[in-house]
Amino acid sequence: MGRLLPLVKGEFDRLNKYNLFTANFVVLLFWVGLAFFFEGEELKMFVPVIFLMDSTMMTIMLVGASLFYEKQEHTMNSIMISPVTEDEYLFSKVIVGVLNSLITVIFISAALYFVKGVIYNYLLLIPAIIIVTVVHTMIGIRLSYHAKSFSSLLVNFMVYIFLFLLPTVFATLGIIDANLAKYLIVLPPEISSILIGALARDVELWKLLFGYTYLSVLSFVLYRFMIKPKFNEYIMRETGV
Amino acid sequence: MFKVRNLRFKYPSSKEYTINGIDFEIKNGEIFGFLGPSAAGKSTVQKILIKLLKGFEGEIEYYGKPLLSYNDEFYQDIGVSFEMPISFSKLTAMENLDFFKKLYKQTVDVEPLLKRVGLWDDRDKKAGEYSKGMKIRLNFIRALLNKPKMLFLDEPTNGLDPGNARIMKDMILEFKKQGGTVFITSHIMSDIDELCDRVAFIADGKLREVDTPRNLKIKYGKRMVKVEYKEEGSLIVREFSMNEIKTSAFCELLRDKDIETLHSGETTLEEIFIKVTGVTLRG
Repeated sequence: MGRLLPLVKGEFDRLNKYNLFTANFVVLLFWVGLAFFFEGEELKMFVPVIFLMDSTMMTIMLVGASLFYEKQEHTMNSIMISPVTEDEYLFSKVIVGVLNSLITVIFISAALYFVKGVIYNYLLLIPAIIIVTVVHTMIGIRLSYHAKSFSSLLVNFMVYIFLFLLPTVFATLGIIDANLAKYLIVLPPEISSILIGALARDVELWKLLFGYTYLSVLSFVLYRFMIKPKFNEYIMRETGV
Repeated sequence: MFKVRNLRFKYPSSKEYTINGIDFEIKNGEIFGFLGPSAAGKSTVQKILIKLLKGFEGEIEYYGKPLLSYNDEFYQDIGVSFEMPISFSKLTAMENLDFFKKLYKQTVDVEPLLKRVGLWDDRDKKAGEYSKGMKIRLNFIRALLNKPKMLFLDEPTNGLDPGNARIMKDMILEFKKQGGTVFITSHIMSDIDELCDRVAFIADGKLREVDTPRNLKIKYGKRMVKVEYKEEGSLIVREFSMNEIKTSAFCELLRDKDIETLHSGETTLEEIFIKVTGVTLRG
């Protein structure tokens, strides 16, 4: 694991040089600008949406873009013929995703504090951001395995959102029965929304405990059974075979 | 250094074996050329040897131990120069090298290497702004970064001008002189002839020949001498077998005639390549 630090630092340097941080920053400015129009209770409900979008959608986009550039420029080949292990490589992506989400939390929180004087319970927010980002980094990596280009990654992402958000929308509209809707908590976007939403509204303790346990187990399962075993196959394909 | 026995490999998407039972050995300190037409399996073999492809059948030993028993520390020992550019395009050459340097325990000072290949003055230029030749030279320096014991070079001089190709070949020969081992694939037969101690020809997933360039030339060449000379205004061509050159007829011809050219029947690696693989070289 001694190479994690240079990998993480290198990934940050590249996110900066490839203007992915800039793109992320522009999106954040947009969110802050939008938040400016909300007050009181509305603002309280809106801010978790920013954190949710950043730790899910932006996380998937950033890890996808990073893998896409590595594929396109064949730098993945160069990393894979260095002593870097698969675990180090994949963990570095997760760590960078988490750090990036935490930077967003700091930026948004500071901006909202100075503009609106709003303070949140960060002890509740930070663990939620970390676990949601970890899961979504892994989902981003998994979606990238099947993406031939950045556009196809976007399509994969849309399919993911469609499949996992649609049931929640149906439940809200009453198309799905309320008894059945309670099981939607197992969908990653739904439970992510509950954990981050706890910042602004009361959430039953069991849901929080279930959410953290469930996403931790899901992270492990994704890594152990869907990311690591397929990584070699992915490398075989992407190293020009 | 490497011992390969009955190596077979099939891609998951393929029904047939890309590599179908090959045996060879790469000795410590030699330059081993691996030649074959496109899609013959050269890159596949290289990727198996550098552990990018797993799931092969047969045995591969590296320093007497199964290759797969080595963990990722194996990569401290080897340097790989791919044919295509492998640099982060928005990072400078120096930033690229600095990033990769941090992944190894042992590294070299890149300044003399960059100066040698003529990239020192452009070290702060983004790799994406480099020409094809510059990218290839940067790949080569990347391969040397960790002071490897063995180099894997895929078409190392392809796309280089003669001057830079010369520098690259000299550096490969110096690497060998310092005890390094090289596995090289190239379509440029003159480079292979000049650099390699032994060469292997692969076609359709099977090895057709493994030997020194000299032995192959003797095996596939004609043991004869061809003489072209002028006589009464016209050009005469005569061929003599190696036994005939000791005869007085041959000696008298050399002494009395106006000789224009004298050729041995030694063949070239290119001709051997075509004969052995049944494919004409392109590019």
